[in-house]
Amino acid sequence: MSVIARIHLRRTAAAASAVPLLFVLLAANRPGELERRLAHLAHYAPRPLEVRRLGGSSTAFDRRFYFFLESARRKLPEDVAGVAVFGPESEQARNLVAYQFAPLPAVVRPRPIPAGWIAAVYGPVRPPGWRHVADVSDGALMWPAP
Amino acid sequence: MIADRFATALLAVAAIAGVFWLGGTVAASALVPAGPAQRLERAGWGLGLGLAALATGLATGFTLAFRAPVIASLVLLGGAVWLGRRFRLPPAPHPPRAALPPWRILAGTVLAVVLVWGFAAFLLRALTEPMASNDYFAIWGLKGKTFFAEQAIPRRLFDWSSFEFSNPGYPLGLPLLYAGIGSLIGAWEDHALALIFPCWMAATSMVMYGWLRRRGASALAALAAAALLAHFGALYSAHLTGMAEIPMAFAFLLAGTAVCDAIEGTDGRADARVALATWIAAGTKNEGLFFAGTALALLALLALLRKTAGFRRTALALALPALLSAALHRLAVGSHPVRGIDLAYLARPDLFDRFLEGLAAAWRIHLSPALWPAAAVVLLIAAGRRSPHGRRLLFLAAASAGVYLALPALCPYGPVWLVTWTVGRALIALAPLLTAGVAARLAPS
Repeated sequence: MSVIARIHLRRTAAAASAVPLLFVLLAANRPGELERRLAHLAHYAPRPLEVRRLGGSSTAFDRRFYFFLESARRKLPEDVAGVAVFGPESEQARNLVAYQFAPLPAVVRPRPIPAGWIAAVYGPVRPPGWRHVADVSDGALMWPAP
Repeated sequence: MIADRFATALLAVAAIAGVFWLGGTVAASALVPAGPAQRLERAGWGLGLGLAALATGLATGFTLAFRAPVIASLVLLGGAVWLGRRFRLPPAPHPPRAALPPWRILAGTVLAVVLVWGFAAFLLRALTEPMASNDYFAIWGLKGKTFFAEQAIPRRLFDWSSFEFSNPGYPLGLPLLYAGIGSLIGAWEDHALALIFPCWMAATSMVMYGWLRRRGASALAALAAAALLAHFGALYSAHLTGMAEIPMAFAFLLAGTAVCDAIEGTDGRADARVALATWIAAGTKNEGLFFAGTALALLALLALLRKTAGFRRTALALALPALLSAALHRLAVGSHPVRGIDLAYLARPDLFDRFLEGLAAAWRIHLSPALWPAAAVVLLIAAGRRSPHGRRLLFLAAASAGVYLALPALCPYGPVWLVTWTVGRALIALAPLLTAGVAARLAPS
């Protein structure tokens, strides 16, 4: 095969690979998805950060739970050493809890509850013997029984 | 408050990123040699240098217990700018420009539009909502938010077994960067912070384009490579925004191109670039340390083949920053095993079976769904011509991929666990390196 024919073959092979690859990659940018994202951003951008988080995908697994966490965070008494959250035990909930209260340590259902930690109890059930501190959205802050 | 309005916070983050990017670019004029696209390549390195100054400075400020630790970042950036101006490399002579045929102008314009479209799409994906990935909450964001709020690196975050899920053994570069930007804008704004991810994407494109041009590729070929990469949605995704893969991919490209330049002795500053890129890579993820080890193996292989003892300086430029980064991490937060890898499994009799199980899982979960695009990439590699620097980049990418595919055999939770949660993302981060290697072969000097 002559040098020119070889170059031609290489270029054809390169184009035959690169052009479909580019189209596959371009097809991933679906206009519908980008439009939805733009509408979401335009709707939430003027709102406070907590509201933007509430409307986002990270809290979609249980938006009321996020609302509860934020509500509890705002009502935490001063000088608590940490927060024991009694709520869903999923990995998503564990990570969100740890992040939401940072830099304060926060763990879902620690056993035992470390000294000086307050309990944030999600839902209507209140553990017996615990001292009520404050009502929060969909739950309460409580001091665990010693 | 700055966090109440996204636009205000975004402008503040953009201003901080802009200052460090600009300062880094001035400093990079002492690192990146002249070439046909030197401004772009220098600007790409500038982001890496500027953000490295921000994170490293903050760690220094924490260590020295400054009242405002982030001041150390500004001092470090100022020092880097001074050094950059003091040792600035001369600009390249401008050769007379030949008139371009209309089809080249048209093709270049189309590729530039495709590149900008890819950037705009990722910008939108990154900024749609506050950073939301599970690993962002568990690892990178948790540490960054804690460092920011405490203006220190508290040991409890690393020593406490309840927080084992936050991977205490991971490098701290990205959390330090988050904390540094937060300290400078005076708020923790985890929505606007996401802006640095499109910045990394832009810098990756700049380095790729500039390096390919400097190494002899045509403007069209270099632009095509950058445009293809800009649409690689597996890397530049909303899911990976907030996590370390996007900066890691950038660091891999910096390190890979710098190692190639150093091996071929293209200029006198290549080893300095290797050292900086290794510092960035090792401070971003443990894969950065693996990469330094892979590059050292390549150097050893080349030294053996040529029967010379060359590359000593390059080997030192790889080894010293990697070792220093690992040592400082240990000093700061203690020694922690890498979660999901246990070297004791090397002695297990079923090691080979576990290796095969990991390979089968990687094929099933990650490779077979991407078979068609992977075949296209293989064809592109085959269609290329001999190019020493392209071959080296492909070797580094392939060897790194080989390490990632072998590591699941050492996972105590089973090979499938590591393949499912880590290997795919680690492979994706090699995309810029692979793209540059393929493009270098298709358009060799």
